[in-house]
Amino acid sequence: MELFLPVLFQASVLLYLVGAIISVLLRKREKINNLSANLFCMAASVLGAAASIAKILWHEGPLGIFEAHSTIPFLSLVMKVDNISAFFLLALFILVFCVSIYSIGYISHYIGRRNVGLFNFLYTTFILTMILVFTSTNAIFFYICWEAMSVFSYFLVVFESEKSENQRAGTLYIIMTHLASAFILVAFLIIYSYTQSFDLYGSSGALPEMSKNIIFLLFLIGFGTKAGLIPLHVWLPHAHPAAPSNVSALMSGIMIKTAIYGMLRFVHCYLGIEQAWWGLLILTLGMISVFLGVAYALMEGNIKRLLAFSSVENIGIILIGLGVCFIAFAHEQVLLGSFALTAALLHTFNHSLFKGGLFLGAGAIQYSTQTKDMEKLGGLSKRIPVTAFFVLCFSLAISAIIPFNGFIGEWLTFQALFANILPGQTGIDILLILAVAALGLAGGLVIACFVKFFGISFLGLPRSEQALQAKEVPLTMNISMGLLACLCLFFGLFPLTILTLVDKVILSIGGSTVLGELRGEFFLLFYPLEIAGNEILPAAILGLVLVMIILTLLLLRMFGGKYIERKYGTWDCGYEALTSRMQYSATGFSKPLQIVFKILFRPSRKLSAEGEALCSSEPIKYTTTFSSIFEDFLYSPAAKAVKSFSKKTAFRIQTGSIHNYLIYILVTVLLLILYNRFF
Amino acid sequence: MNNLIYIFLQALTILMLAPLVNGLIRKMKAFIQKRQGASIFQMYYDLYKLVRKGSVVSEVSSWIFKATPYIFFASALVAAMLVPVSTIILPKHIPGDFIVLVSVLGLGRFFMMLAALDTASTFGGMGSSREAMVSTLIEPTILVSLFTIGLISQSTSLSQIMLTVQGAGFPLAHPVYIMVFLALLIVIIAESARIPIDDPSTHLELTMIHEAMILEYSGRHLALMEYGAAIKQLVFMTLLVNVLVPHDQIIAFTGFLALFLSLLIYFFKILILTGIIALIEINTVKFRLFSIPNMAAFAFILSFLGILQYFILGGSNV
Amino acid sequence: MFDFLLETLSVLILLSAFALMANKRISSYIRTFRIQSISIALAAGIMGIQSSQAEGRFDFLIVCLLIVALKVVYIPHLLHKTYANVKYKVEKDFILNIPIMIIICCGLVLFSYFALASIEGLGQGLLNLQFVNSVSVIWIGLFFMISRKKAIGQIIGFLVIENGLYIAAMLSTNGMPLVVDLGIFLDMLTAVMIMGLMVFRINDKFDSIDIDKLNHLKG
Repeated sequence: MELFLPVLFQASVLLYLVGAIISVLLRKREKINNLSANLFCMAASVLGAAASIAKILWHEGPLGIFEAHSTIPFLSLVMKVDNISAFFLLALFILVFCVSIYSIGYISHYIGRRNVGLFNFLYTTFILTMILVFTSTNAIFFYICWEAMSVFSYFLVVFESEKSENQRAGTLYIIMTHLASAFILVAFLIIYSYTQSFDLYGSSGALPEMSKNIIFLLFLIGFGTKAGLIPLHVWLPHAHPAAPSNVSALMSGIMIKTAIYGMLRFVHCYLGIEQAWWGLLILTLGMISVFLGVAYALMEGNIKRLLAFSSVENIGIILIGLGVCFIAFAHEQVLLGSFALTAALLHTFNHSLFKGGLFLGAGAIQYSTQTKDMEKLGGLSKRIPVTAFFVLCFSLAISAIIPFNGFIGEWLTFQALFANILPGQTGIDILLILAVAALGLAGGLVIACFVKFFGISFLGLPRSEQALQAKEVPLTMNISMGLLACLCLFFGLFPLTILTLVDKVILSIGGSTVLGELRGEFFLLFYPLEIAGNEILPAAILGLVLVMIILTLLLLRMFGGKYIERKYGTWDCGYEALTSRMQYSATGFSKPLQIVFKILFRPSRKLSAEGEALCSSEPIKYTTTFSSIFEDFLYSPAAKAVKSFSKKTAFRIQTGSIHNYLIYILVTVLLLILYNRFF
Repeated sequence: MNNLIYIFLQALTILMLAPLVNGLIRKMKAFIQKRQGASIFQMYYDLYKLVRKGSVVSEVSSWIFKATPYIFFASALVAAMLVPVSTIILPKHIPGDFIVLVSVLGLGRFFMMLAALDTASTFGGMGSSREAMVSTLIEPTILVSLFTIGLISQSTSLSQIMLTVQGAGFPLAHPVYIMVFLALLIVIIAESARIPIDDPSTHLELTMIHEAMILEYSGRHLALMEYGAAIKQLVFMTLLVNVLVPHDQIIAFTGFLALFLSLLIYFFKILILTGIIALIEINTVKFRLFSIPNMAAFAFILSFLGILQYFILGGSNV
Repeated sequence: MFDFLLETLSVLILLSAFALMANKRISSYIRTFRIQSISIALAAGIMGIQSSQAEGRFDFLIVCLLIVALKVVYIPHLLHKTYANVKYKVEKDFILNIPIMIIICCGLVLFSYFALASIEGLGQGLLNLQFVNSVSVIWIGLFFMISRKKAIGQIIGFLVIENGLYIAAMLSTNGMPLVVDLGIFLDMLTAVMIMGLMVFRINDKFDSIDIDKLNHLKG
């Protein structure tokens, strides 16, 4: 095992590399290129996933998979896989496997129109950089991989670069992500200045209390931006829709989770949690993200923006778990903390499955109708029925509806909150209760949001010619979505399978095992999941629902006789000219909630007639708009200030004369020497 | 095996009783309004009649429209299995706690809202959109108030909660329970589409919420939707009376007679609650749609004050 | 058992303050105020029975009767008369919408809980825990005055503050001397009568009881 496991990981990484190289070499033969790149990715993922599972189950401690020391100071290319890395890698490999199957079909519409070789090269290297982020052990190496990951994903975001909105999205993304990396880099430098080491597996004993606090805040901002934590989420709803759908699935499914990994690796494992306010801060931000994320998602008419905002919400749920965990660890309640961490990790894993699936579904919609605008969709469930069914599964999963996996994560989060409400810690208790309320409200909003997502896009009458002419998607796309849907159902019915892995992970980072608390006995076909007497049996619930449906059918047959059905038009109040325009639109659907939460959206509407009066028969134009608080009050003023500052300084500092610039260099160098002399 | 029998017994009790409760509410309303009113068994007749009729299905709709009545009905029945009607027939393992209850009801609601959008009718969309609003606003109240009682009994399992509360003497005199009681009363009104949130007996597009969603249904599909809604209503009522006004502690003996007595008391409690609901329905007018948030905020505050009182009054000594 | 009832009553008083906040109609302001006063009278009555059993004091029963006479019967009646004379029946144009104001009130309760949690002896026999609820009533009354524009709203807000103060004093001290109680009642009665008169004057002067119009008085 000791020998075999590293080889598996190395083989997996190597296959990605080969895939990347081949996609460059074969750039002229696009069909083969597409097939080979994705097949390589799939093979690598299978190897990697197997290796990750084996690592978590049978190997303790970090497992070195690659080691090379460079002559560049501080930089050592050491890759190790420990249980946290392996867990995130597992999520990555499973998702990549499904997405790669999908890409075979999805990328086919690029063939002959775009540079498929380039795309596949970027795609494989993007995955590779994520693997490196999860496995690097040296802070500088980590930073380089982190930057590379951002840059490659940037290229993928702007892949369809002819659209100006994509360019803008890319620019916003790269600015935000670089700001974030700057914070992370500063944190690393502070760490280095105290410990003289960039080793991530080292000890943080030399750090004084105050600088630990500062480092925590820096990491929170840095990783929070990547995770899409409100108010640092602005790039997310722009970048995800711009990227091709398979890339958005990876970005939302796993790339934003690198931030969760970062928080765990650097804050939990490296710094060690000493202060309860760290957890309180994360919990509060998580609560805000949960509520606002889904509230903004509900208002969106663009399917991919909707999904992007919903990612913000799910990151919020994960952070609620993480925050509770940090609080409990700060109070040295190891069991309760481990329990909350279980919830967070489980939701991380589950989210990568169903959100990945939802983005793939959105890609399928876009593939078959060429639009992302919900107001132009409708009636797709008759045109692409298989896709519709899988998207329905994902929608149920994300709405935390039993028996899908989303529910398990949410249930554990609730239980973690419940268990952590202890008498005698007033402030924290009330915050935890507010978190329950926020999760409840968000739960309701998520259902509304995904009823809208599925109902408006797939049901009813087609709202445009494109939706009417929707074409069936390639088989590979449906296969990959079906695979993800099956996984969602599987982990929903048998949560203990994944929980066994999560438990090992938590055990390895100083938590205690919660599996003893999560008693599960193997009974017939289902595992009950039980915490201190609160048990759930998802499989039994599914079984009971099915039995009830069958019983109902039988009883109806007995009492009601044969089922007679008549097809007829929808009831139209005798008007006899029902058109698709008379259905509720996406905007109309979310209007009541928009009015209820108008303080968040600040909606405005404008009514204008082209003719003289509003009562004439001229066409009347009715426009509604709503605005985001953060973009209006936080980012626009900041951007304006930067702009005006640059304008003012443009001619004084940036004079354009070489002599001036040389003077700047001279002065800087002199100042630095002075600094070194005196301090 | 006993487990399964008990669980099915729960469901059967609620299944048999649900239409009767609807009939009782109507009868009481009629009584207060000095009308004769329909028989209390009217809903059984209606259901029987509907079941024997064929269904008209819109040409526009997909499989979701036809599957929804079954899923909705089954989810309501499974919800009924999670809320014990009597702790005398308490199964050893109930397959879920109140979080599962919320999720199972969510399953039914999800499909009902989808089915409403499926027929491309304006009414359906309207009902679905409004239901989204009402249920969203009421959701935090359900969770927080159940959490409060859960904290008192240190469990999220409904059967465990009921057993603990039975030991608490007369809980309704206590502020925490009063708050939760009032909050859950508002929840019942909202969830079972009653005045002042929604009017179950009208088909006016300005006011419809629940009725708008099931407008396209007919025949046995309609019967299932109506029946499912009635079951859902009784599930919430059972939750309220059995958690906050427990009764099984006064029965000192066991056996079939005890079960019979317990069910009788249960039925009596439901009867009183029906009276309260009928009184509320008679004495209020339907709210404007956008007054519902006020009511929801008030319900939430009730539940939140409840949990605050729990902390203020020192937690465990409730 | 008595403690139980007092706790429940203190919660009901708090709840009535919330109900007041959620109301828009001036007639239901008065009704809610009346309910709140009845709860206070009940609390006084319970404490009266308790103390008469234990020590043979009858102060509380007198106070209870006074509360019934003044706050349940006379002042609401006076307010009804004032209300009948002005044409505004429904409050409109709040500074914030009602759900948000209710949530702010909830924040006030939280705040008073935090502020008072550190008081020594709270909940240990020296000071009753219902104190938190009573103090919250004072904040809510003040916030009610801030949020309402019509003069009658101001009066009700003032009365709610007074109720909160009174119940806080009563519950935390187990009964003030009767003289103090009488003094408070006299004060309040005068205040309400003066304010009632002022409403008539404002209504006459500006043809409205919107107190924002008092801005016109300056300069």
